[in-house]
Amino acid sequence: MGGLFDIFLLLLPALLPRSRWTQAEGYKFRAGSAEVNCGLHLVIQTSSLPEKNKVEFKLNKDTSSFPGRLSQHDLERNYSSRQGDHINLVSSSLSSFPILQRSSEEKILYSDRLSLERQKLTVCPIINGEDHLRLLNFQHNFITRIQNISNLQKLISLDLYDNQIEEISGLSTLRCLRVLLLGKNRIKKISNLENLKSLDVLDLHGNQITKIENINHLCELRVLNLARNFLSHVDNLNGLDSLTELNLRHNQITFVRDVDNLPCLQHLFLSFNNISSFDSVSCLADSSSLSDITFDGNPIAQESWYKHTVLQNMMQLRQLDMKRITEEERRMASVLAKKEEEKKRESHKQSLLKEKKRLTINNVARQWDLQQQRVASIATDEDRKDSDSAQDPCQIDGSTLSAFPEETGPLDSGLNNALQGLSVVDTYLVEVDGDTLSLYGSGALESLDRNWSVQTAGMITTVSFTFIEFDEIVHVLPKLKIKFPNSLHLKFKETNLVMLQQFNALAQLRRIDQLTIDPQGNPVVNFTLWKYYVLFRLSHFSMQKINGTEVTQNDMIMAERLFGILAHVASSELPQYRLISILGDARKKQFRYLLESKGKKPGIINEENNDSKRPVGENTNRATLNYTTREFYNEKLEEIKEKKKFCKTYIEDLVKEATEINMKNEALQKLWPQMFIELVRDAVIEIRNKNSYMKLCLQQITDQK
Amino acid sequence: MLSPERLALPDYEYLAQRHVLTYMEDAVCQLLENREDISQYGIARFFTEYFNSVCQGTHILFREFSFVQATPHNRVSFLRAFWRCFRTVGKNGDLLTMKEYHCLLQLLCPDFPLELTQKAARIVLMDDAVDCLMSFSDFLFAFQIQFYYSEFLDSVAAIYEDLLSGKNPNTVIVPTSSSGQHRQRPALGEAGMLEGVEASLFYQCLENLCDRHKYSCPPPALVKEALSNVQRLTFYGFLMALSKHHGINQALGALPDKGDLMHDPAMDEELERLLAQVPGLVNSVTASPEASCLPSRTPPRVGSPWRPLHHSRKVDGESDGSTEETDESET
Repeated sequence: MGGLFDIFLLLLPALLPRSRWTQAEGYKFRAGSAEVNCGLHLVIQTSSLPEKNKVEFKLNKDTSSFPGRLSQHDLERNYSSRQGDHINLVSSSLSSFPILQRSSEEKILYSDRLSLERQKLTVCPIINGEDHLRLLNFQHNFITRIQNISNLQKLISLDLYDNQIEEISGLSTLRCLRVLLLGKNRIKKISNLENLKSLDVLDLHGNQITKIENINHLCELRVLNLARNFLSHVDNLNGLDSLTELNLRHNQITFVRDVDNLPCLQHLFLSFNNISSFDSVSCLADSSSLSDITFDGNPIAQESWYKHTVLQNMMQLRQLDMKRITEEERRMASVLAKKEEEKKRESHKQSLLKEKKRLTINNVARQWDLQQQRVASIATDEDRKDSDSAQDPCQIDGSTLSAFPEETGPLDSGLNNALQGLSVVDTYLVEVDGDTLSLYGSGALESLDRNWSVQTAGMITTVSFTFIEFDEIVHVLPKLKIKFPNSLHLKFKETNLVMLQQFNALAQLRRIDQLTIDPQGNPVVNFTLWKYYVLFRLSHFSMQKINGTEVTQNDMIMAERLFGILAHVASSELPQYRLISILGDARKKQFRYLLESKGKKPGIINEENNDSKRPVGENTNRATLNYTTREFYNEKLEEIKEKKKFCKTYIEDLVKEATEINMKNEALQKLWPQMFIELVRDAVIEIRNKNSYMKLCLQQITDQK
Repeated sequence: MLSPERLALPDYEYLAQRHVLTYMEDAVCQLLENREDISQYGIARFFTEYFNSVCQGTHILFREFSFVQATPHNRVSFLRAFWRCFRTVGKNGDLLTMKEYHCLLQLLCPDFPLELTQKAARIVLMDDAVDCLMSFSDFLFAFQIQFYYSEFLDSVAAIYEDLLSGKNPNTVIVPTSSSGQHRQRPALGEAGMLEGVEASLFYQCLENLCDRHKYSCPPPALVKEALSNVQRLTFYGFLMALSKHHGINQALGALPDKGDLMHDPAMDEELERLLAQVPGLVNSVTASPEASCLPSRTPPRVGSPWRPLHHSRKVDGESDGSTEETDESET
């Protein structure tokens, strides 16, 4: 008998996976009854035993989900048990336990096994005189507690399937026990297995176990069934050095750990759990022995990447979800996995870029805010000065700046410091997205110096500026015109547009179809007249949309009505030399930018220059309305001041000279009549005596000779 | 030329007082600035042009603020230019904020200080919240007073403050002192019922001031008239009265009467002409922008003899009107 068991137990793990027990949810071993072998029934027969001496027990992997099949099992079992045993249960008067007695004939016949199936037992009977018993079967009773078997020290297999046991106990003396079947009970905790060091098969399926514990000493255990329990995760598996099969179907497992500590594990069943990512079972990849695994019924199995990810990560696998893995599949998997990896890397890169962009924009915004705040504080300073010295006309800066409404709430200094402490890497951002070029931060303007490919440059039709002083943008407009000849739509946000005259600067561009001025950071948009002024000043573009609203003819007329006279006055009443100088200035300025940006290519400059002349000539009456940035203007004023100083002294000298001459002249005028009279009188006196005068004259003539 | 006044002063002072020097200096300065362009059509021509425009009052267009406010004539010219250019805004009935008016001013004079606009707005709004909307005429008349009599008003503010605090203003008047408008505001609050100062006393001080004031000030008779029908008045009340006073406006001569403010037939005619050219107005919705812009944007002075020179100038980079060479202006 012992030989039989050894063979069986040896065969068991090897045979189990081959059986299609996922469908049957249970399997049966029966010696010598070939007629009921229908795929899941394995028959082991040893020739040394008589026909009747069959060993039958059932290893219920799971309670069946096929009731029909189960009932068939039950019938079989009932039949065999009735056929097998004739048992008398005698109620003991001494205790509440029944005492089992078998006839000596039976004892001889089945000396090593005893089956008490379906006896409606509520307790374990006391079994006397059966010390050599090796197999004990209590299937389908109502036993609540394992008792009265501590004397059966030769017991190898104990089957308590389908009882009401709540705790594992009373097994400490059964040192030889190799098969312990406790399926379909009410066990909440794995415990009291300390002495069962030879345990080979442990079946605890269909219980209420929430945690794997107290089994680390079972180094001989080869099969562990924990299906249909309440496990939420798998770990604490070390020490199970012989485990080849682990059944964990129908739990609520979300992650698996420690499986790589099982050197012999070949079959792992994780079907119908709650595993949703491969990361949560990643330790499986490290198990070199694993060859068969199931994941069906998990969220992970629904994923498109499921199969190839698993295959890719577990090269040792031969079977997945009960299907043999072909070479082809493996190859596919590796290809797919590679693709997946690439995609992941790409998307990672994308999200990294996105994040970087977000951070950069935040950073730029912060800098902008700081800058605005600084400007505002200067402005308030200037304001104060203004009120002190009210007549100073040179405080343009202060007074215009103070007109900016402060948009950012005051940052307290602590926060300020913290912000500066952050890793502030990029202070600007340039982004090309389809036909849109977005510039954030004044540093981004430098990107216009870059060599843009013809294709990119041609594609861009929208240019958006954010967090850049409008005055700085003005400087690069000529470059913009050259580099992105097709840009038709300009967007401004947080650019400090405060004055109508700033729009004059846009007139130098080649074409604008649309203009979008975000009210955020552009106070000029609050003016009622701004739109009309834009339409008026940029009328030569015949714009389509302003801030997303179609420009109507009425708008155009209104614009002309409001500002037409200004243009007329500007063009017709300006002295000609001024007109020339203003127009000239504008052109000169452009020219200077061009020199800066494209000094090496004179051809382009000429072309551009000619180009730029055309629109200027087209509506001279508007061209006089141009915008010089504050810096530039101050520079100019400074220049003028010097000239003025010179002119002042020059004129002063001139006028002084003139007045002096005038004074002398007047003095002369005053003196002249008297002088004349004196002269005449002298002459008359001289010639009064004619004779003596004649003598005198002759004398003079002879003297000369 | 030979007015009796002329003989009372030495030549130089006379010229200075009459601001002739200012214009001469400016003319030379302009000449220096644009000597490349001007040398092409003649310096005599330039001076003619310059002094003509001074006479017409168009010389202040787009000039720097320091020049615009340099002489009373310039101020009048600027006021007039502002009125003419933006009369249409008032006609349209828009009420604008101080900032927007300021922007309009800056269209004519890029560095026009915000402070003056603010002060003008305070007159209109009686020192109230400065962000209110104002009508064009209210602003314009207030602005006229503020701009033209700027220095005078500063002195008046000082006097007013002294009166409020009970000092005898006649002893301490520093006409060039900075504005006291900001400082006197709390005093107004305390005054409560007896707000402001007594009109007659105030007038005496003003008369006194006008006698000594070296900047332009409104005719004392008119000031008296403006003050005649009140017992007490506040500073802004006074300014308001000044700005609404018909006679003072006439004496200034920059703007028409309030009733005629929107009336400018010559310009209206011009505007109609311009409107007729608005692209796409008449029929040509499909007209290209180039075509629609071309027709009659040509300035009216086509006949000017030196005009053709305009196109012959090829701009070169280094001609930025530097000051180092002055000989040219004399040749």
